[in-house]
Amino acid sequence: MINSTEFAGLVRDELGLPLAEEELGSTFDELPGWDSVYLLRLLTVLERETGARVSLPDVLEARSLAEVYTLAVQA
Amino acid sequence: MSTLLELHRGGDLAARYPLVPRLLAELGPDELAQAGALLARVPAAEVRRHHPTVPVVKVAITGHGTLSPLVAPLTAELARHGLVLDPVVSPFDSYVFDLTDPGSALYAAGADLVLCVLDPMIIIDELPVPWTLADLEKIVDEKVRLLTGLADRFQATSRGTLVLNTLPLPRLLAGQLVDYRSRAALGALWRRAATALLGLADDRPAVVVLDLDPILADGTAAHDPRLSVYAKAYLAPGLLAAYAREVGHLARLVAGQTRKCLVLDLDGTVWGGILGEDGPDGVEVADTYRGEAFRAFQKVARQLGSQGVLLAVVSKNDPEPVRRILAEHPGLTLRAEDFAGVTANWRPKHENLLETARRLNLGTSSLVFADDSPYERALVRRELPEIAVVDLDDEPASHVERLLADGWFNVREVTADDRARPSRYREDVARGDFLDTFDSIEDYLRELGVAVRLEAARASQAGRLSQLTLRTNQFNLTTRRLQPPAVQELLDDPAALVLAIHSADRFGDNGLVGAILARRDGLDGPDGAILRIDNFLLSCRVFSRGIEHACLAALLHHARDTGARQVLGTYAPTAKNGIVRDLYPRYGFTADPADPDAEAPGGAGGTTFRHDLNHIVAAPAHVALTTIFPGEHE
Repeated sequence: MINSTEFAGLVRDELGLPLAEEELGSTFDELPGWDSVYLLRLLTVLERETGARVSLPDVLEARSLAEVYTLAVQA
Repeated sequence: MSTLLELHRGGDLAARYPLVPRLLAELGPDELAQAGALLARVPAAEVRRHHPTVPVVKVAITGHGTLSPLVAPLTAELARHGLVLDPVVSPFDSYVFDLTDPGSALYAAGADLVLCVLDPMIIIDELPVPWTLADLEKIVDEKVRLLTGLADRFQATSRGTLVLNTLPLPRLLAGQLVDYRSRAALGALWRRAATALLGLADDRPAVVVLDLDPILADGTAAHDPRLSVYAKAYLAPGLLAAYAREVGHLARLVAGQTRKCLVLDLDGTVWGGILGEDGPDGVEVADTYRGEAFRAFQKVARQLGSQGVLLAVVSKNDPEPVRRILAEHPGLTLRAEDFAGVTANWRPKHENLLETARRLNLGTSSLVFADDSPYERALVRRELPEIAVVDLDDEPASHVERLLADGWFNVREVTADDRARPSRYREDVARGDFLDTFDSIEDYLRELGVAVRLEAARASQAGRLSQLTLRTNQFNLTTRRLQPPAVQELLDDPAALVLAIHSADRFGDNGLVGAILARRDGLDGPDGAILRIDNFLLSCRVFSRGIEHACLAALLHHARDTGARQVLGTYAPTAKNGIVRDLYPRYGFTADPADPDAEAPGGAGGTTFRHDLNHIVAAPAHVALTTIFPGEHE
């Protein structure tokens, strides 16, 4: 289980995306430099960090990082 | 990784790009993937703005599946070689159009390397339901024809290099057939296609075909079901990383960087054991279990040598035994004539590598250095980051794989000139000097964090101390061998001083690595009380780090503080301990020919040296020394 601060830290350090915790709720369209390929890497990293499986189809349907975070903590 | 993260957080990756190869050199697969993600965020142009001369390699990526996951690992692999990736990624499944139309954006980009990433789905996607072998064969033949045409078009159109790859045969295809005969037929037709693909490089100089089979055979999964089904990323991340590594070496060739010389350590690398300790008959070169592993490594080094790679030796050893074993040992596969240069001495290895490069008239960036010692590898990485370092360890069975894990010596073609090259370099074993020139590695030693504990030995250590006297041949001043009861006797003798030397550094605890055996002459002679060093021993694993210097300085201070007026020490030469011939004079002792004990019974003969305790040489600053002399407490 990780909290949202740690989640934002992972996005910054594992994907290299500059991101403030408040921006987690922004839709991907609103995030400068966002690329859907990041979701694949994020899935790998989240599963490694939480030790739990996260649903890739659900991650691919997410519209924001906050939604991905919810999927990861529910897993 | 932490330094790289700091640079990333500070937005300094572009500005500090020349540091990056060294930071990546020792990363494992997970960290390298992370590093790739961070580096991929930095545009090539920004790196170029800070470093106008850094080589940028433009790579166009096209193919069938989702290919953007290749960009991060490719960025990391190029960065390992000091190159910057300028990627151009084509839209999904556009390779046929990209490579057919001479006016396509792909050709217009003028990339140095064009990666056409092929995966088995180019065939599987087109299979009808249900399918037969005949259906499959038809599709496979079509694809081979198509790819042949694309390769021809590329050859005629582009000045770059087209990189194709073989298709992994996934179980999810073969397993769909339930009878063995059909499965075997499927395997055969799949391999026919692979043969045809691999043959495309034969008469098309612009085409390189990467065979993925060796990567898969070493246990890399071809396929990740979720990424494949949901994201159309048909090649698994591990395979993309291995593929990227191959492309990294192609990019080196594009940038004109080649490695020409493999420099080998000897002890623990070319043979098992320590030549200076075990002697030529004691090291494992061939016919023992471990010997076989070392022989396999020697064979592969020779194989590389036969294709134009120069072989050289940089070893911490006395030169004469090295010259002799390379010339005379019947079991060695690698012999003197295989080497373009052999350096055996006690100088720091980076100095010897510089010298090796100079003598062979190569840049240091042409060298690859293989060593089983983490100390030596870290020293070389620190001092000469442009040298590629192969991490061998204490498992010789893995030496070959580790040597070949990176294609350091890959070339597009081996020429006759390459094959003849090694014979043009033949040289005698280079002579060297003594072990203590650590001036040039002072900074490294400071980072190494050498911690030494010199303490009164305890009864429980008698076994280890005895073993040191029995096994140590090089750093052993008098070679007096002591069985455990003899050590115990010394420990019980109030006039004897038995000091154990422990050392540790950032690579770990080295344990009890040495000893000083001394004795107080209680008689106040005309010259005052005497402390006599009967022997001084140090394991060859920890030579040349200032440990002996620090211990000797501490002993001299202790002698003066406890009322001694002089300290005597003897050097008794043997065939193997030439390395310590000058130890005492180096630290302020003078030869004392009048010493009555020099030829005493039980003594080993030799030269006795005297220190008058007036000027004690300062201990080296990089060693953190703790001393506990008898009667003191922790």
